Amino acid sequence: MKSHPGQQLPLRIGLRDGATFTNFYPGPNAAAVHALQAAREPFLYLGGPPGCGRSHLLQAACHAVSEAGGLAAYLPLEECMAMSPQMLAGMEQMALLALDDVERLAGNAEWEQALFHLYNRMRDAGHRLIVVGNAPPAALGIALPDLLSRLGWGPVFQLQPLSDSEKSAALRLRANQRGMELPAEVADYLLNHASREMPDLIALLERLDEGSLAAQRRLTIPFVRPFIS
Amino acid sequence: MSVPLWGQCLTYLEDELSPQQFNTWIRPLQAEFSDNVLRLLSPNRFVQDWVTDRFHGRITELVSQLCSEQAPRIIFEVGSSSTPLPTPSKRTVTPDPLPETNRQAAVDRSRINPDSTFDNFVEGKSNQLSKAAAMQVAENPGGAYNPLFIYGGVGLGKTHLMHAIGNLILARNPSAKVIYLHSERFVADMVKALQHNAITEFKRFYRSVDALLIDDIQFFAGKERSQEEFFHTFNALLEGQRQIILTSDRFPKEVKGLEERLKSRFGWGLTVAIEPPELETRVAILKKKAAHAHVLLPDEVAFFIAKRIRSNVRELEGALRRVIANAHFTGQPITLDFAKEALRDLLALQAKLVTIDNIQKTVAEYYKIRVADLLSKRRNRSIARPRQIAMALAKELTNHSLPEIGDAFGGRDHTTIMHGCKKVAELKGLDQIIADDYAKLLRILST
Repeated sequence: MKSHPGQQLPLRIGLRDGATFTNFYPGPNAAAVHALQAAREPFLYLGGPPGCGRSHLLQAACHAVSEAGGLAAYLPLEECMAMSPQMLAGMEQMALLALDDVERLAGNAEWEQALFHLYNRMRDAGHRLIVVGNAPPAALGIALPDLLSRLGWGPVFQLQPLSDSEKSAALRLRANQRGMELPAEVADYLLNHASREMPDLIALLERLDEGSLAAQRRLTIPFVRPFIS
Repeated sequence: MSVPLWGQCLTYLEDELSPQQFNTWIRPLQAEFSDNVLRLLSPNRFVQDWVTDRFHGRITELVSQLCSEQAPRIIFEVGSSSTPLPTPSKRTVTPDPLPETNRQAAVDRSRINPDSTFDNFVEGKSNQLSKAAAMQVAENPGGAYNPLFIYGGVGLGKTHLMHAIGNLILARNPSAKVIYLHSERFVADMVKALQHNAITEFKRFYRSVDALLIDDIQFFAGKERSQEEFFHTFNALLEGQRQIILTSDRFPKEVKGLEERLKSRFGWGLTVAIEPPELETRVAILKKKAAHAHVLLPDEVAFFIAKRIRSNVRELEGALRRVIANAHFTGQPITLDFAKEALRDLLALQAKLVTIDNIQKTVAEYYKIRVADLLSKRRNRSIARPRQIAMALAKELTNHSLPEIGDAFGGRDHTTIMHGCKKVAELKGLDQIIADDYAKLLRILST
C-alpha cells in the first residue's frame, strides 16, 4: 500500500519476523518439525509440494543452530546452481547445512556428484545435512544411485500442505507472534478472498502489519478488504 | 570482542535483508578479530565473492557506525576459524607429530570411523566372503591379498568393511599409519597440493602410509592427473608391502574412464563382491541397529520393514530411523501398526496408494487451477480438460467405482466419468502435449 502525505511511516526496524520454529504452525507436520528440532539425526529429508513451509523450516533450523553458537547455511539450489558446483566446497564446515529444492539438480551429473561428495564430507565431519525436495527421493529422477541412497539415509518425511482451517490457525499464530490480533473471522475472510498459498498469505499479513501500524487501526474485515488485490 | 561487534552487525543485517539472503550468505560467515582487523571467513570463494560484491559496503558502514573509536579494517577471506581448513599443504607439509601410541589419536588421524567395526558388521550369505577376506587383510596387512578390491552396489556395506579393516589394523598396531579417504578427497588434495606447490609433500605423505584405504575408486574416472599420481602411489605402496584397499561400484575391469594399467593392477590382489543382503540378514541388520539406538524392535516389525525395503542397507537404515523418529515424537512403543503408520508415505510409494483427493490436488496444481474448479460446473476448456484428465487418472490409479469417482467430482453422474475417460484416451492419441501431461502426472502420482 502506498503511503499518503501526513500518514506516519512505520519504522522498519524489527518489523520482519524471521523464520523460526516458534512462528511455524506444525499442523499435520508435527512429527517432522519435532525431528528437525530434536536434531538427533545427521541426515534428514523432507519432501512436499511448495507452500507447505519447507523453506521456513530449513531456515528455522539454521536459526536454531546459530542461536546455539554454531555455523549454519541455507542453500537454495535455484540460486546456487547459477554458480558452479564448487559452491558446495568447504560447506562441510557448517554444523548444519539446509539444502532447498533438491529436485533442481536431478539429471545434472555434475551437481548430483557434487552433492554426493558433500554428503560424504558432512558425514566425515560429523555435521548435519537437511535436504528438501518436491517429492520423495525415489521420485526426484536422480540418476546417480550413490546420491539417491544417501537421500534416504536418514528419516524421510513427507510434508503435508495445510487445510484451510489449519492455514487460518497458522495465520493467526503468525499474527500473534507479530503482536497483532487477527480475529478468526478476519483470517477466514482472507482465506476466502485472497490467494490461499501460504507464502502469499504471509506476505499479505506483512502488508497488513505495516498498514495497521501506519493507520493505527485494528484488523477488521473493512480494514483488510483493500489489501486484497 | 569480535563476537559482540559482529553479533551487532548481524542483528542489523538480519533485519535489513530478506531471510533467504541472510541465511544463505551472512549466516555461514565466521568472524575473527585481532589487531583491529575484523576477518570475515567464507566457506568458499563463491560465498566470498557474493558477500564482497553485495554486502561489503553495508558491512563497512555498520562496523564504523557501531565502533565509537577507530573502526577495524575488514578483510574477507576463504577459510575457517575454529578448525583450520584441511588443506593438503597444511596436512601434508607439516611433518608428522611424534609417534603416537595412543590409539584414539591414531584413529583420529586416520579418518577411520571408530563406529564401523567387524563386531557390528552383520554377516550373511551376501557378504560372507568379503568379510572373511577383509578380516584376513586386517590381520595380515601387506600380505597376500594386496590390493583388496571390494565391489558392489550402493549402500551394501563396502565402506563399513573398509573402516572395520582400518580399525582392526589400528587395534593390533596402534602406531600403524592407516589412512582412509574417499577418492574425491584424494583428487581435491592433489589439486590443492599442485596449487600450493606442495606436490612433493603430497607424494611423500601418501607413499609413507602402512595402509591406504580409498573409497569409490570409480570417481577417478576421467581425472587423468589423479590417476597418474595414484598409479605411482599404488606402485610404491605395493613395492613396500603396504596394504591397499579399494572399493568401487563394479568389477575393476568394468570401471569406466580408468586407465587400463590401473584396472589391471586392481586385479593383482583379491577382488571380492558384496551382494544385496537376503531377508534374514536385513532383519538381523535392523535388530542390530535398533539395539545400537537403544530401541526395542519387535521381530514382526523388523520383518515388516525388511520385507518392504529390499534395495540396500542404507535405505533400510533410513526406514528404521524414520520409525524411531516417530517413536521419539509420540513416546509410544514400536508396534506393527505404529511402524506401518510411520512408514506410510514411504510404503505408499511402492504400493501406489493414491487417493482421488490427491489426484485432484496434483492435477489442479499441475494446471495451476483450483481443486474447487475441478469440482465446479464450469465447462470452459481450461477447466474441463484437466477435470477429464483427473477423472481418467482416478479411474486408472484407484479402485473406486465410477459412481464413487463421480461423487468425488462434485456429484457427477458415472456416465460423465466414462465419457471423460474415453475423451482422454482419444486425446492422448491425437495431442502429444496431452499425452505428455498425462504421462507426467501418472509418474508424479505413482512414484
